[in-house]
Amino acid sequence: MIRFDNLSKRYPGGLEALSNVNFELDAGEMAFLTGPSGAGKSTLLKLLMLIERPTSGTLLINGKNLNRLSRSAIPTYRRQIGVVFQNHQLLTDRTVFDNVALPLQISGYPASETGRRVRAALDGVGLLDKETHNPLTLSGGEQQRVGIARAVVHKPKILIADEPTGNLDPKLSAEIMAMFRRFQSVGVTVLIATHDINLINTMDERIMHIENGMIADDGVHHDHH
Amino acid sequence: MMVCTMTITEKSSRETQQRGATGQKFRLGDHWRGYRAHHRATLSSSVRKMLREPVQTLMTVLVIAIALALPSAMLLALNNVQTIGGNLESSSQITVFVAKPANSAAVDGLALQLEGLEGVISVTYVSAEQALEEFKALSGFGMALRYLDENPLPAVFLVQPLPSGEAGVSQVGKLITSIEELESVEDVQVDMLWIQRLNAITQIGEKLVLAISIALGIGVLLIVGNTIRLAIQGRQEEIIVVKLVGGTDAYVRRPFLYTGTLLGLFGAIIASLILIACVIWVGRSVEVLASLYQSQFELVGPGLSGILALCAIGAMTGLIGAWVAVMQHLRKIEPK
Repeated sequence: MIRFDNLSKRYPGGLEALSNVNFELDAGEMAFLTGPSGAGKSTLLKLLMLIERPTSGTLLINGKNLNRLSRSAIPTYRRQIGVVFQNHQLLTDRTVFDNVALPLQISGYPASETGRRVRAALDGVGLLDKETHNPLTLSGGEQQRVGIARAVVHKPKILIADEPTGNLDPKLSAEIMAMFRRFQSVGVTVLIATHDINLINTMDERIMHIENGMIADDGVHHDHH
Repeated sequence: MMVCTMTITEKSSRETQQRGATGQKFRLGDHWRGYRAHHRATLSSSVRKMLREPVQTLMTVLVIAIALALPSAMLLALNNVQTIGGNLESSSQITVFVAKPANSAAVDGLALQLEGLEGVISVTYVSAEQALEEFKALSGFGMALRYLDENPLPAVFLVQPLPSGEAGVSQVGKLITSIEELESVEDVQVDMLWIQRLNAITQIGEKLVLAISIALGIGVLLIVGNTIRLAIQGRQEEIIVVKLVGGTDAYVRRPFLYTGTLLGLFGAIIASLILIACVIWVGRSVEVLASLYQSQFELVGPGLSGILALCAIGAMTGLIGAWVAVMQHLRKIEPK
């Protein structure tokens, strides 16, 4: 589903954020991306979201080369992936419902279909009773769950998350991770960048460790490295 | 091509998935309805956003209104002056004084010649006696005139030329020359000079109105552009989120284009109201003035078509101003 082939990213100014990264994620697979700050996690996610373009190498999504996507094709591509951001990226000028509905409105879904799907997504993250609230009135954990609902409301095949448990306590973090697991169990490919080693070590999933722009370690972790 | 196939296969597989899950089909018609609903929603949210900052919006709209009302009022004034000029021109008569002494045969011959000239509608003969009677009746010098030995007034032909459009003045000029060449014609008088002057002045006026319209039109573009630029800056966060979840450039652009168009349209509506108020206000004074000249002249307003044209121009200018601002600033805002 996701394949990085010898992929490098060098920023203007010479900083090589990623060098010769190779990995493949199958459909329905779940993986974590760890590593110190500045190691290249964010760059890798940005390449997946087409915020950045690789300097060399190829990035294949579902067998198609992302390098060949023109600027005008980017929106269509982004509609096929779901992204959960560390800082939620919720809009504070509208309700929870309207935040979650945004990807559907952008894709031109009719109102009835939008309402049904938004409620299903909010129900999935346990926030159905908060749909008329403003995101500002919610707790950090709730805001993150709204972000997750927005990322999955259009049923993407790929779900990407950048530090989704960044500011949450262990209990809430575990809840969020359980949610990602549920999406994986229905066939969604999930890639999560996180610092939370303790949490992911308990999850028995693939962990890719990035250091200095290279994948230093790639495998299933149990208790220790 | 690769991109297209990917999109289509992705979408169709997703649709099958949805159909399986919900038993509902997602048709192209639904997309179209969704698109229209989105346009309606964008329009109403643009209006709501403008109303959320009423003072700012009102000030912008008023500035646009003044910028639109000024050249429109000038154009209207010019139109009215041209109407006056047109009325006078069509009513302008050529007075042909018959050389003395002229017998009735010469007068009849001259009448036939005048009627035969090109561009003449009618020829009226006023004999010297008739002229004297008229003068006695109108001037109040009746008693004094009795002491004259002979009639000092010449016989006169009143020649009515064809009412003329653009080239009118020169045609009448030609007619005058050919009348002057006729026998038994003492003198030809026509009140053309000041009509020519009026035409020349209105031509200058037209150019002036055009120049001012262009200048103020650019002003409106800049006002709308600046307002939209500020709106874009204020909604930077939202634009980034929309782009991140797959909003196209057109989707991001749309609310700003609506806002610009609405600003222009509202400005034009207020400009129309200003214009109508001015016509009513000035119209009363013009009526008084016209009655002093025994004229039926009435001030002509912008009319429904004029107002509609002004609204269309306002909306178009707003749209263009917004478009320019959007093109300049929106592309720079990308997720980082």
